[in-house]
Amino acid sequence: MEALHIEATEDTPKIYFEPEVDIYLIEGKSLPENAVDFYQPVFDWADKFFNSPETPSDVTIYFKLDYFNTASSKQIAKFLRIIENSAASENVTIRWFYDEEDTDMLKAGNRYNKLMNIRFEFEVNKD
Amino acid sequence: MNNHSQSKEKLGFVYKLFKAMQKNNLNYIYRGSFTENITDNILSLAETNLVKKDDPRMLRRKVYNVMVEGLQNITKHQAAIKVDDDKNYGVFVLKKENDKYYITTGNLIENEHIENLSAQIDQVNSLDKAGLSAYHKEVLLHGKISEKGGAGLGLIDMARKSGNKLLYAFEKLDEKYSYFYLHTEIPSKNAPKSSLNTKSSGILNYISALHKMLNDENVLIIFNSYFNQDSLMNLLSIIEKQMMESLQQKKRIYHSMVEMFQNIIQHGDDYQKTEEGKAGLFFISETEKEYLLNTGNYILNEKIPILSEKIDYVNSLSEEELEDFYNHRLLDFDIDTNKEAGLGIIDIRMKTDDNLEYYFLNIDDKYSFYSLRAKIIKN
Repeated sequence: MEALHIEATEDTPKIYFEPEVDIYLIEGKSLPENAVDFYQPVFDWADKFFNSPETPSDVTIYFKLDYFNTASSKQIAKFLRIIENSAASENVTIRWFYDEEDTDMLKAGNRYNKLMNIRFEFEVNKD
Repeated sequence: MNNHSQSKEKLGFVYKLFKAMQKNNLNYIYRGSFTENITDNILSLAETNLVKKDDPRMLRRKVYNVMVEGLQNITKHQAAIKVDDDKNYGVFVLKKENDKYYITTGNLIENEHIENLSAQIDQVNSLDKAGLSAYHKEVLLHGKISEKGGAGLGLIDMARKSGNKLLYAFEKLDEKYSYFYLHTEIPSKNAPKSSLNTKSSGILNYISALHKMLNDENVLIIFNSYFNQDSLMNLLSIIEKQMMESLQQKKRIYHSMVEMFQNIIQHGDDYQKTEEGKAGLFFISETEKEYLLNTGNYILNEKIPILSEKIDYVNSLSEEELEDFYNHRLLDFDIDTNKEAGLGIIDIRMKTDDNLEYYFLNIDDKYSFYSLRAKIIKN
């Protein structure tokens, strides 16, 4: 299965989707000027990955974002929607990380949990 | 006075400030306590954003050097005075106009130092290039230490690096303290020879008036330039290090700033077309209880009805209704371009603690000046 690696910049997150080692991670800050363009490769990857006969039976996606803007929040919703509508949606768990004091980040995760029919787990970041 | 005219009066300040800064093309002002972190950040902001990348290397280095001396000058004086309130806030101003950079600093000093300081600057100003070099050497070797411990080296360096006179003024505050303003200009090589005259204190009168305006409104930081992603990222790094608030509050300030800034990048209109971005003003001010985030930018008159309707609507919603509206918009994938996710204003309202205040000041047939203010309550 195909991997997707995008290095972090000061305004975009690191994307590390690597089936070979079974790690799926989005980490860092997301506030790009052109969120739609930035996330397009992520959608393309997800479309293929979650609708393939080879999709692993158990995929955990680590969301370790410490900040995202509203433009990115919509792209995250789109990404989750692709998973929700995919053949493999029941195989997927979103593990949503947040700083203990950062109730807004917890709230944001809860919102997606409520709006999407996907399994969510929440975990406090350890420093 | 009803709420509307009150907010109109308050937000009128945004345009007043914008105009005041435009008139003299001021790019960046920081007012507050100067810590090492903050001066480092101002320097990097200047390096990456305010000082034009296509300027000759030599000029950039000079500006950088003069900035370092000016900032150190402020921290030195700040440390010497044990006044722990916003009266002791220094001010740093950087602007660029026609091939020239202008650097001004302002800080509180004790009146008893005025005489000594004036004498030092007059001495520096009396010397030509060779004289300055000799004086620099003499102070270095024989350590003619001033009372402030700076040996006056900073001042000599500023004069040498800028290749210009140092303009100064004192604005008496009370029996004990005055504000000390220091100004110099750095011309690029090709610019006509600078005519900075120590007698012409117009610029300092202007800075001192502006400083008073900032003091009255308790403005902490002003950015008046082109709004683009680079300038946003730089300002954010300053805010991150400057604000001594809880993580949650810092994140909310950060969050609201990003949305307000990107809102201008995407939706502001160019009064005068420029390639760098949309001209605008961003500043943070504070009251005892809250931080106020303010933006000001030009907008086409035709956009006003829809925008005001949208803000009024968002202001009318309860917390729960806001959440529902946000969720509705979040999943509305018909509104989904790089320019517009349809969430910015809702999000700013959700992350802040009061209704959003706004005001459109008519400029001409085509444009208005749009001021937006969000409040975040301090812990």
